[in-house]
Amino acid sequence: MPHHSIPTPLFAVYLAFAVWLFGAAGAALQGKRTSHPLGASLMGAGGLLVVWGAVFGLHESAVWQAPYPIFFGVAPLANSLDSLSAVFLLILGVVATACALYSPAYLDHLKDRVNPGLYWACVFMLLISMAEVVLSANAMTFMIFWELMSLSSVALVASDQSNNRAPKAALIYMGATRAATALLAGGFLWMHSLSGSWEFARWSLVDTRFLPPSLLIFLGLAIKAGVWPFHLWLPYAYPAAPTPVAALMSGVVSKVAIYALVRLLVYGGIGNELFAYAVLFLGTVSAFWGVLFALAQKDLKKLLAFSSIENIGLITMGVAVSLLSRVYHLPDLAALALAAALLHCVNDSMFKSLLFLGSGAVHVGAGTRNLEQLGGIVKKMPWTSVFFLIGSASICSLPPFNGFVSKWLLYQALLLLAGDSQSLVVRAIALACVGVLALVGGLALACFTRAVGIGFLGRARMHAVERSREVPSGMLCAQGALACLCLLFGMAAPLVLTLLQPACATAAGAPVNIAGSFTIPLPVLAALLAGGGLVAYVLFLRGRHAGVREYITWECGYGDLPVRTEETASSFAEPIEHIFGSILGYRIDLVITGKDRRHFPERVKEETRQESLLESRVYGPLIEAIDWLSKRFTRIQTGSIHLYLLYMLLTLVLLMTVGTQL
Amino acid sequence: MNAVIHWLMVFATLIILPPAVVGVIRKTKARLQNRVGAPIWQPYLNLIKLLAKGETVSSTASWVFRAVSAANLSIVFLVAILTPWLSFKPNVDGDDLFLIVYLFALMRFLMILSALDAASPFGGFAASREATLSLLVEPAVVLSLAALALPQHTSSLTEVFTTWSPDSLEFPLWLLSGTGLFLSSLAELSRMPVDDPTTHLELTMVHEAMIIENSGKNLALVDFTYAVRLTVLFGLSAQCFLHAVVMAWPMAGAWRAVWSIGGILILALTTAVIEGTAVKLAWRKVPEFIAYGLTMSLLAAMVAVARGLPP
Repeated sequence: MPHHSIPTPLFAVYLAFAVWLFGAAGAALQGKRTSHPLGASLMGAGGLLVVWGAVFGLHESAVWQAPYPIFFGVAPLANSLDSLSAVFLLILGVVATACALYSPAYLDHLKDRVNPGLYWACVFMLLISMAEVVLSANAMTFMIFWELMSLSSVALVASDQSNNRAPKAALIYMGATRAATALLAGGFLWMHSLSGSWEFARWSLVDTRFLPPSLLIFLGLAIKAGVWPFHLWLPYAYPAAPTPVAALMSGVVSKVAIYALVRLLVYGGIGNELFAYAVLFLGTVSAFWGVLFALAQKDLKKLLAFSSIENIGLITMGVAVSLLSRVYHLPDLAALALAAALLHCVNDSMFKSLLFLGSGAVHVGAGTRNLEQLGGIVKKMPWTSVFFLIGSASICSLPPFNGFVSKWLLYQALLLLAGDSQSLVVRAIALACVGVLALVGGLALACFTRAVGIGFLGRARMHAVERSREVPSGMLCAQGALACLCLLFGMAAPLVLTLLQPACATAAGAPVNIAGSFTIPLPVLAALLAGGGLVAYVLFLRGRHAGVREYITWECGYGDLPVRTEETASSFAEPIEHIFGSILGYRIDLVITGKDRRHFPERVKEETRQESLLESRVYGPLIEAIDWLSKRFTRIQTGSIHLYLLYMLLTLVLLMTVGTQL
Repeated sequence: MNAVIHWLMVFATLIILPPAVVGVIRKTKARLQNRVGAPIWQPYLNLIKLLAKGETVSSTASWVFRAVSAANLSIVFLVAILTPWLSFKPNVDGDDLFLIVYLFALMRFLMILSALDAASPFGGFAASREATLSLLVEPAVVLSLAALALPQHTSSLTEVFTTWSPDSLEFPLWLLSGTGLFLSSLAELSRMPVDDPTTHLELTMVHEAMIIENSGKNLALVDFTYAVRLTVLFGLSAQCFLHAVVMAWPMAGAWRAVWSIGGILILALTTAVIEGTAVKLAWRKVPEFIAYGLTMSLLAAMVAVARGLPP
């Protein structure tokens, strides 16, 4: 292992670390006087450096170990950059650069609601720790930076001081990260005692002895990624965080958990059939659950948070299919499914951060993110609207945007699993997953046509929204860049897949041809579509001979309709909420009062209610039980030092007894 | 040479057939209701009339409203080129079943946006219903096609529709898939038990209410797009049924195309009979109707799963 010369790809990343560390130190020193443009330029410069390192790292792997004085107790600070980490570094770099472009204007809008020194210090720490988690070669390095990542993101969720929901959100998120860390730490310790090594490269999970620690690790990562039923913190944390942080968290932090899932479980070669099915089940439920709840949201950011759960579910499905294919000795399919998962990670980080940035822009430009108040901003904020439209089309996996490619690969992987397998059960499950995927696609379409159609088109549902203005150019550039990437990564799909090929081949344990599996010539089709659309427009709709006359919307002759007659976000979702009412906890309470209330009701009050059953039925009682238990335990906490000394002695005796017995 | 003929035939059929299919449905329906009905070529006359007219656009509408009509026409032509609904297709790569499904989804996405753009209560209501219908129909369509693709190990529709293996399960597979597709198409196209295509009013309110703001040339584009969509979807189901009818199918060249068109017209007649005899379902009952389509495709999926397994 080379100690002193740092390989090129890692050097670029370390250069980015130096820039970010400098930024963090500067922000810590300057405190409230920290300048947003300076912080953003350091963030962007580091982001570009990381992209550079990642592009190098896709082809050549690199390792580096810190010299002796830097040592984490049991293991050194060791980094390894290979084709898999490079993919996630690429995600980090791209999203960080876009957020950097976006940040100055957005933070100016927030004014003194965030403390600039604290904000930037935490952002830089978050960026460094995410990159280090992805690079870490052993469990100690991973754990330390994982913790740093969790803590800095908790601080960032709480950074908006005027948001009275932020403290609660940060607390819930904190709880989730504690649980995740505890499970991961348990899993890592167990793994170490079984394998005798802290190095990830030496962990092989093929043997069934490794199943319990793998399960702990999976649970820890699932909490962090937001897989059902551990997703509860997402809809609290994302909307509370400032927009660039939400974009980073949804675009990168959750993907880092997926990275660890692939690195430890898929590369570790876990070969348990039941485990793979459990992962597939959780992924499928997450996808369905997430998008269904996204459909019922009124807050644009909360909607996106639930949609993140959906996409994490789709990615988890890909990972699960990859695990399953390995169990059934189908290496090509394992690689294809992993490619679907990885590509969806890349794509989701782009369109999801694009949409988060868009929702922040809407908040800045129109003053609200509530779909019940928005409307008609396509005329006031044309660019933001176009970018949001592109993001929505991508997330609904519509061709020719990038979301389509990864969804197609996932469909393909499931279809091939059903076709290649010789077992009735596997075939049935795989084909059922295809059906669920189609349902999820339909729900996503409904969800995002609602977000765009109600939020951006039509008329403003609240007076103040009519005065909305387009956001500054920096914010638009960030969204525009991401929108272009969404289109580009769709068009250049075979090229992108070539980049993912080495990472997938490692999982398959054999050389594979991923790029050749995507056979649809999207650029040709997109050109045909654009050409055809243009011809139709020019032939029929353009020019003076079209004889266009402007008039009010058809109102059955009643005179110009008030805004209240317009479709609202809730009424748009109502038929779907009605169908899936039992899952959504959706209820309509209708109260009619009056003397003759059947024929002459004086007052009709209709109220829709929705409750998260998982929260009220499962997590609520659980937290109450913990609360009750801890209250009982406070009895032993008397404040008497003598008693405490006794406790310590007893514990010591207990530990020594147990230790000698083992 | 063959390629040029294919292109010409597809385009000629695309221009001529779709309005005629709509005309056939209307004429048959009228005859069933003891009316004389408009001539079969009436949809062409309507299109020509609309193309000559000016257009009224809502002052609320944005650029989305008019752009969508042009885009959807383009998408539906692309779908018609990529799908082997006439038993053959021009030589363009991309006849993938998931691509076709998502191109239909793209059309629906744009359609819903255009319906919401003018802030009309009709449009909004209809858009919501369209979104609901489509998400219920989507699994049925995908499962029907995936069930056909499963034995072939490919998602290319041309290969799916040109291969034929003698197998006792072949007949039920194609029949069930075809029925699933056809029933789903009825919902997808807002035909009778789901929506009344002759009115935009009150309880029906799906397709016709979505396009209530479109007029003149714009409406002509939308109507034509709808007719092509109907023809292509019926064409897909017709291909399935023709595969199920073993005797009639393995014939060469032009005859297959003729049979395919015949199949589409038979499905149009069936639709007309359904519309002439069935009543529009209450909105809350519509999911039950769609469940029939879904059940058919689930059965098709089961047959596909069971096929080719070692006994």
